[in-house]
Amino acid sequence: MRRVVNGGWAQLRHALLLLPLLASGAAAEPDNYVEIARGKALATAGDCITCHTANGGAPFAGGLALQTPFGAIMTPNITPDNVTGIGSWSADDFARAMHEGRRPGGSYLYPAFPYPYYSKVTRADLDAIYAYLRTLAPVTNAVNRSTLPFPFSIRQSMLGWNRLFFTPGVFVPDPKRSDEYNRGAYLVEGLGHCGACHTPFNSFGAAKTDHYLEGNQIDNWTAPNITNDMHAGLGKWSVDDIAHYLKTGQTATTLASGPMKDVIENSTSKMPDADLRAIAVYLKERGAAGSSPPAPLSASDPRMQAGEAIFADTCSACHTSNGGGVEHIFPKLAGNAIATQDDPASLIRIVIAGGRAAATNERPTGPAMPSLGFRLNDAQVAAVVTYVRNSFGNAASPVTADTVKALRGRVTGAAD
Amino acid sequence: MTDMNGRLPRGGDAAAAARRKHAGVTRRSLLASAALLFTASGAGAGVVTKVLPWKPNEAYPVTPVVPGGYLFFTAQEAAIVDAFVERLIPTDDLGMGARDAGVTTFIDRQLTGPYGGHDWLYMQGPFSDKPLPSQGLQSPLTPRQQYRSGLAALEAYCKANFGGRGFVELKADEQDKLIGAMEKGEAQFQGFSSRMLFSAIYANTMEGYFADPIYGGNRDMVGWKLVGFPGTRYDFRDVMAKPNQAYTLPPVGLQGRSAWGGR
Repeated sequence: MRRVVNGGWAQLRHALLLLPLLASGAAAEPDNYVEIARGKALATAGDCITCHTANGGAPFAGGLALQTPFGAIMTPNITPDNVTGIGSWSADDFARAMHEGRRPGGSYLYPAFPYPYYSKVTRADLDAIYAYLRTLAPVTNAVNRSTLPFPFSIRQSMLGWNRLFFTPGVFVPDPKRSDEYNRGAYLVEGLGHCGACHTPFNSFGAAKTDHYLEGNQIDNWTAPNITNDMHAGLGKWSVDDIAHYLKTGQTATTLASGPMKDVIENSTSKMPDADLRAIAVYLKERGAAGSSPPAPLSASDPRMQAGEAIFADTCSACHTSNGGGVEHIFPKLAGNAIATQDDPASLIRIVIAGGRAAATNERPTGPAMPSLGFRLNDAQVAAVVTYVRNSFGNAASPVTADTVKALRGRVTGAAD
Repeated sequence: MTDMNGRLPRGGDAAAAARRKHAGVTRRSLLASAALLFTASGAGAGVVTKVLPWKPNEAYPVTPVVPGGYLFFTAQEAAIVDAFVERLIPTDDLGMGARDAGVTTFIDRQLTGPYGGHDWLYMQGPFSDKPLPSQGLQSPLTPRQQYRSGLAALEAYCKANFGGRGFVELKADEQDKLIGAMEKGEAQFQGFSSRMLFSAIYANTMEGYFADPIYGGNRDMVGWKLVGFPGTRYDFRDVMAKPNQAYTLPPVGLQGRSAWGGR
């Protein structure tokens, strides 16, 4: 709260300083309020603030450590500070960074900054975002931009990466599809950069384009399959479900948590309903892909029997004994796509560390699940997760105690 | 020595020690600690807006009691408590009694912790000689002092009145009779209220026999199985609408139950 208050004063100070200029008619630029407002909305759709703000830091002033398979990358300051931010950048410089992943001097940005997606954004939209970022209060915050270990510290190596994995080019609408679909495609494939989390990586950290939006593991969370796949994806979700989820952080039977909580709170909950609906239409219509569901484990499997006992004693009070949950509070586990992803990371970590759901204006509660890691050992977590993945009509691969042990080590260390 | 409420007369060694300790609390130190409390709570103050605070991995688990040995009791005291609690809840055809359920270990560990010193109670008097029933505990003696002095007084009483035999050497019916006399406050111990000792062991035995096994007693949830208590469950929607039908789920403790798989 203090940050907001201070920001308000800073803006007031700027307004007061500007007053004499305006009064004397010295303002040279045309009134671009509409452009700035449009840019703000686009920056919101791109969710710039979530990555470009450190925990407890000034908005857009950078300094968040993004964990990649190659090491941590500190996000830069994108406030218009001349020395530590992008205050000296021209609109062309900004567009080049977004479209090509290059800094004004020509050096390479890492694709943790999702320029392969931003490449699809129109120049007009980039100029609007640039105009909005110029209105932010400059914040002096020098960020160490050289945290990757050798050999990844050599930015020039991104030249080769780009040749292999980067296809520049602005989004081209598909004339055979509806305007709504194309709007959704433009947002998802471009500024929204959904695939940055939801598309699996190859060993170079590039998106496997033939598995677009089929799910990935990000920061020890499962970014689920968001194709229209019936088993692992959004096949059971309606267009309304998806749009509602992005607006409010939940459907009646599902709550967003983890990184998606931030995306919804900072970005999609503030987007126009029409855009959310366009995203939903695009996701539902573009196709389904995913692994075929395995046969569920037999209820007589010892892991299932231990899991059933643990579920009855530990989980059923909220999620109910048939996995039905309670609408808007306790997620339904029956048919829950998070429960049946190939990757069980989210399921495991929520049992161990607990989880907090998104809180939005429409659904302000933000229900939380308590941490049970103190109570269940690795084999017991594996058993109950295996049980959830193979009960109530669900079917997914069993989870081993070793998988739980490895993830426990990663999610109980640093707070996130 | 005691009145109807089983209270100790003022003036035992322990009470004198307690008074000496209280005299050491000066006005200055009281004010200083009050100031510290204010400072400490002020530093942690925060405004909760929109959502309640939540942190990953947040849990305040109990450290499970590991049975074996005693931390407060001497071997002789433990043997007396073992024999005493076995008379209160004997092993019989309904299952294991208090001794086998680990109640002595439970009491031992409780006496070692904050309960044993009444750390959470106001213990600085004045203590009323004729308290109203609503005035609660009126003794400067902590549970640790009660057990240490009370068990010694019990043992001395037995040696003096049962031909040199200690409590553990008494026959079961002799023990029962003595325990009954202690309950009524009729057994006159030297320097200690027999009723106070009875009350402490009686209350702690029930606590140990029915508390979660994580605290050292209620082994294998024997107490819960005996009375049909389902344990640490807190939602019964599945069975609420099924009156007069048997509740079939077994009890579960904070550490789970055997069906969860090995720990």
